[in-house]
Amino acid sequence: MAPKRVIFGLLGTTLDAGRGPKRWERWRPTVSLTQHEDLVVDRVELLYPRQGTTLAKQVAEDIALVSPGTEVRLHLVDQRDPWDFEEVYTALHDFAASYPFDQEGEEYLVHITTGTHVAQICLFLLTESRRFPATLIQTSPKFKTNDPAGEYRIIDLDLSRYDTIAARFHREFTDNIAGLKSGIPTRNAAFNRLIEELEHVAANSVDPILLSGPTGAGKSQLARRIYELKKHRRQVEGAFVEVNCATLRGDAAMSTLFGHKKGAFTGATTDRAGLLKSAHGGILFLDEIGELGVDEQAMLLRALEERRFLPLGSDVESTSAFQLIAGSNRDLIVRVNEGHFREDLLARINLWTFGLPALRDRREDIEPNLEYELAQFARRTGRMVRFTTEARNRYLRFATGPDALWRGNFRDLSASVTRMATLSPSGRISEETVTVETGRLAEAWRHRDGTAGHGRDGCAELLGAARAGELDRFDRVQLEDVLSVCRSSRSISEAGRTLFAVSRTRKASVNDADRLRKYLARFGITWEMIAADARRQS
Amino acid sequence: MTERTSKNSMLHIDGAQGEGGGQILRSSLALSMATGTPFRMTGIRAGRAKPGLMRQHLTCVQAAADISSAHVSGAVVGSTEISFEPGPVRSGDYHFQIGTAGGTTLVLQAVLPALLVADGGSTITVEGGTHNRAAPPFEFLERALVPILNRAGAGLAVRLERHGFYPAGGGRVVTTIDPARAPTAIALAERGERQGARATAIVSRLSPSIAHRELKVLRDRLGLQPDELEAVLVERPIGPGNAAFVELRYEHVTEVFSAVGEVGKSAETVAREVADEARDYIAAQVAAGPYLADQLMVPLALLAGGRYATGPLTDHSATNMAVIEAFGGRVAVQDGTLVVEQLLRRARQA
Repeated sequence: MAPKRVIFGLLGTTLDAGRGPKRWERWRPTVSLTQHEDLVVDRVELLYPRQGTTLAKQVAEDIALVSPGTEVRLHLVDQRDPWDFEEVYTALHDFAASYPFDQEGEEYLVHITTGTHVAQICLFLLTESRRFPATLIQTSPKFKTNDPAGEYRIIDLDLSRYDTIAARFHREFTDNIAGLKSGIPTRNAAFNRLIEELEHVAANSVDPILLSGPTGAGKSQLARRIYELKKHRRQVEGAFVEVNCATLRGDAAMSTLFGHKKGAFTGATTDRAGLLKSAHGGILFLDEIGELGVDEQAMLLRALEERRFLPLGSDVESTSAFQLIAGSNRDLIVRVNEGHFREDLLARINLWTFGLPALRDRREDIEPNLEYELAQFARRTGRMVRFTTEARNRYLRFATGPDALWRGNFRDLSASVTRMATLSPSGRISEETVTVETGRLAEAWRHRDGTAGHGRDGCAELLGAARAGELDRFDRVQLEDVLSVCRSSRSISEAGRTLFAVSRTRKASVNDADRLRKYLARFGITWEMIAADARRQS
Repeated sequence: MTERTSKNSMLHIDGAQGEGGGQILRSSLALSMATGTPFRMTGIRAGRAKPGLMRQHLTCVQAAADISSAHVSGAVVGSTEISFEPGPVRSGDYHFQIGTAGGTTLVLQAVLPALLVADGGSTITVEGGTHNRAAPPFEFLERALVPILNRAGAGLAVRLERHGFYPAGGGRVVTTIDPARAPTAIALAERGERQGARATAIVSRLSPSIAHRELKVLRDRLGLQPDELEAVLVERPIGPGNAAFVELRYEHVTEVFSAVGEVGKSAETVAREVADEARDYIAAQVAAGPYLADQLMVPLALLAGGRYATGPLTDHSATNMAVIEAFGGRVAVQDGTLVVEQLLRRARQA
């Protein structure tokens, strides 16, 4: 059963007018909608102003004659001033909001030929923003013929083939897509499709978006890109607020998210707005949402559904309108089944779910991402580093081969590039450096189940998650590598010799142990701490 | 309900053959309903600017499906492929409303033939255009086609209750059908003596001068007498419109030639088109003109067959021949005479 075709339109008080027989010789846009041999119209929803009542009935009768299969429904939509933008927009918006759209059984068109220019602009905007889930239909008299049926054109704003407008839309779309991909020309078809869908959703929806995928797949980065895209389109005014739910514990969790009143608990010496409030008019990215506590889940659900929540210790509700992007590396359904995650909250955030593939499932994207990481390194450090041709080929052969597990996904790749670039002071990553690096990666993946280059999070173990989290990735990658060398060395001198193997050959006198000690001291780490930790681990 | 035939075993008709338009579909529907043979048509209106089914064709499909409880797939605008599996034809009262562009006579082309050989009588009311471009006008049906079918045993009566012109439509044609109980073969070897002629110009909500200008041209070109001219001003008119036609009455056959007025086309041009067709027929000395020849073919095949002298085959006639043959019938051309064999021997009642 083909869906029913329904056309919304405004009565054209001039163009649709005519009472005598001559009216049949003229092109009348609303009637013409139903006069085309190749366009079946099951229903016309005709909006008319009070002074157009008689004409509206005439048009309905004429349609009944020329197209008995078309039902005409008349809607009185009164406007004092059809040239008043706000009034017209509100009237049409309210009509759309109360209309019982049935997108399963009906397809909708919005006729934009009739009405004031103000009304036409409003209809266009309401259609573009999907208040009318419709395509546009434009009618016109047929040039050089006397056929009163004229011509029609269907303009699907989703189809990018409308010459100049479309070209501009398309360019913008391409820019948006590139933006969402951080400008990386990714080649993986599934990923690219996902990004295109995401672009569409980001443009058209204020509902929650769920990004799932393994750690390091790029959820956080993508969330930020969505924000930037919406910001660019002026769809958000507020801020991008990001928090990893795994770092939220106890009272602090409630207060961090929803805010508190002064004196709500010990240490609450001032009012705190909370992240939800900070995200008002913007985007709240809750990473690892599966780690959110049960109380916080309940409060978040209410905040999503009613845009209201109660700050800790307050008896006045706070409001915030934000778009939620949730990140999860776990199967939330399993969390629901285990009783750790609210089913209703999952249902609420599960509307738009995008599963980001692991890096090993999109190996064709490793090469473009390699370029991107090198560019990022250059931006951070001001140092341009390149591969020699052989080194590059060797690295890619490994990276795209079966031995590369990429357990930490882009985090691994980023760390790996940072290591190689850092260890190539000449600005050229040599084959030798690559060989060492691929060995290190393979070793890490073989032994451990975890993140970048390390089974364990060495920094977090020694410094605690909170302090480790404060480190720049730049420092952290370096520190991780230093710590891993330290762990496998028997003494600080041996570690120093390994770590400064290149530069020590150029120095007259060497004190590698001292250099290392000073380096570690910058992070508050001593050799004794490392040694103690290593003993605990073994 | 009988079991539906699978797609593969269905009669396949290439809709792009011959004139490749709507007629092949209407004839197929008629023959399918009457013989109970399901068919699948592909390439519907393949070569046209807007290919596939248009609304007027869908109207015919839906009317045919109503009357024969058919199972139809592909019946959407723009579809170039359709399958039609008829159930038993049910006689009775039917009312079809069609839009502007669809001619009432075209719907009748699709549904009448099967009702001529049905079990009981029917009344079909069709509302829409009665005088459309590219469709036979009501008067062709009334004065040329129906008398011959009644001679073949059918009991048909058509009545024009209201005129309908493009674009307003709103006309109404009522057809009563008493099926042919003892059909007889038709033999029209010649037209016989001319017994009379009449030129008619119809105007609806337009100036009567249009009718008078048309009649003047027809009088001059066809040598008609004043009492053979008739101007009709439509009573209770719906929308504006104009048509002119000439009725030529002979001993064995009556022919009707017509044209429809359009905005931007002069009354004289309309009348000249009619006069040219009438003069061609008068000169050709055949019994059936080109339209009558192709319109008779399907109903006669379903009744008792027949033969009639006609001119060179038109695309429409050739297409109808091919369709009839696809449904198991036979039409031959012998020395300028079309010989239509009886296709249906009351097989459905047996």
